[in-house]
Amino acid sequence: MAIKFERVGYEYKDIDGKGYLALADVTLNINKTGEFITLIGETGSGKSTLAQHMNALLTPTEGRVHIFGMKISRETRKSKNLKLNPIRQKVGLVFQFPEYQLFEETVENDIAFGPKNFGVSEAEAKERAKKMLNIVGLDDSYLSRSPFNLSGGEKKRVSIAGILAMEPDILVLDEPTSGLDPLGRNALLEVFYDIHQKLDKTVVIITHDMNTVYEYAKRVLVMREGNLVYDGNPTQLFSRKNVKSWNLDVPDILKLRRALEEKFSITLEGETRSKAQLMAKIKEALR
Amino acid sequence: MSLIEIENVSFTYHGNKKALDDVSLSIEKGEWVSILGHNGSGKSTLSKLIVGLLKPQQGVIRVGGITLSADTVRDIRKKVGIVFQNPDNQFVGVTVRDDIAFGLENLQIEREEMIERIEHYAKKVDMYSYLNKEPHNLSGGQKQRVAIAGILAMKTDVIIFDEATAMLDPEGRERVMEYMRALNREGTTIITITHDMKEAVLSDRIVVLKDGRVLKSDKSENILKDKATLEKSNLELLLPLEIMHYLNENGIENPSLKEFLWQLSLNG
Repeated sequence: MAIKFERVGYEYKDIDGKGYLALADVTLNINKTGEFITLIGETGSGKSTLAQHMNALLTPTEGRVHIFGMKISRETRKSKNLKLNPIRQKVGLVFQFPEYQLFEETVENDIAFGPKNFGVSEAEAKERAKKMLNIVGLDDSYLSRSPFNLSGGEKKRVSIAGILAMEPDILVLDEPTSGLDPLGRNALLEVFYDIHQKLDKTVVIITHDMNTVYEYAKRVLVMREGNLVYDGNPTQLFSRKNVKSWNLDVPDILKLRRALEEKFSITLEGETRSKAQLMAKIKEALR
Repeated sequence: MSLIEIENVSFTYHGNKKALDDVSLSIEKGEWVSILGHNGSGKSTLSKLIVGLLKPQQGVIRVGGITLSADTVRDIRKKVGIVFQNPDNQFVGVTVRDDIAFGLENLQIEREEMIERIEHYAKKVDMYSYLNKEPHNLSGGQKQRVAIAGILAMKTDVIIFDEATAMLDPEGRERVMEYMRALNREGTTIITITHDMKEAVLSDRIVVLKDGRVLKSDKSENILKDKATLEKSNLELLLPLEIMHYLNENGIENPSLKEFLWQLSLNG
């Protein structure tokens, strides 16, 4: 198990000293490879707080998190022997607006910054910059460009390449597609799926987009008021009756399918988790 | 005379290609207009120009007959409020109450009236119990509701929602769209800048921008089904319309199904 949450709680302190429980008693395991997880829940439910525990950016105020064998708790954080660098390298966390963190003069330097910081040679770091840039769907001509003159989607890609260049085993992305136009969003989701498939990495994506959850996720985690209330597959999640009470919506594909089935008194067979599948089923039913 | 008149406006950010290139557009009082377009199409530049956060390098903008300039920008901001995508970038107060008060202080509203408005609009967006809290401890959706309360309290004629729902959860997005509907019913002119067709379908008219120019401006129901225009702007058809398009392409005639898909689309 690469990441293991054991009864994790996290309390924020307000200015007047009043506590606010952002995570409560969360127990959870994440594998090193093969997972494509979406983390969902209403705003303020604790998704980002949970994600920031995955690479020890936050330390639990209750319980413990084991990250690649290292125990993170209130006690161990006081110890000088706890080395966080290896954890940060193994679990790459991409913040919600990663483009605000670009700062180098060229795209190449920006991507190479992380690995160099972790002791990788200049030549190797540049090699990785080029490779990762291609993986996120940008060609070599971008290497010498200034990150500040790129579009929003391009900036996001460059910052994700920067995290990938550290060769993390697990990639955690906090709302990576928010603010992108539909074409940019779909392209970036394909990039994450490729990273998962081709580089065999575990990917965790925080999102509000139920269509992303339905079309891509193998596993869904649902947060509600600091509690992990669901850990399972998307199909079962959206067939639950209480899904609306978690402030979640039903994915468009499923909504449309149900509307058609009801209106025309038909039953479509099998799963339709992509538009193409739904279209094929409708065509079949019309024969 | 239209409420908002944009005439031959161009704008270039330092050292880049034109963000807006000779854009002309009129918006009527009480109208609800969606501005759609790809990332970098100039949508947000246009909204910043209308509230005077940027100055057009060419062309003229008039709001309620007043030509926007350094001298009139304060008057224009009494007429036009804006809610941005990222609520973190629009907080100035120590508490939620201060934050909602900020815009009102600029309007030089009497203290009693101010307190009344703050409480009324905080209740309206369900943030009343948070009035004495620090904004930075709120969730994204809560922050956005506070930002909206601050704009509502100013009672402007026009409210621009600049991708204001992009970062919200489904429930939060639905609520903001509900505020938009209610405001528009009460006569407020609404401009929504969005990538979300479900939001755009609510408006009377859709203006599609591409590379800084107006690609198309038409009644929403016409733009909704215009696959070619949407694709040129990195946008997608609503799912029921995509299915309808697929049926047409495959020569499947089924009028009752198509009518049903169309009705579903109009309901978002």
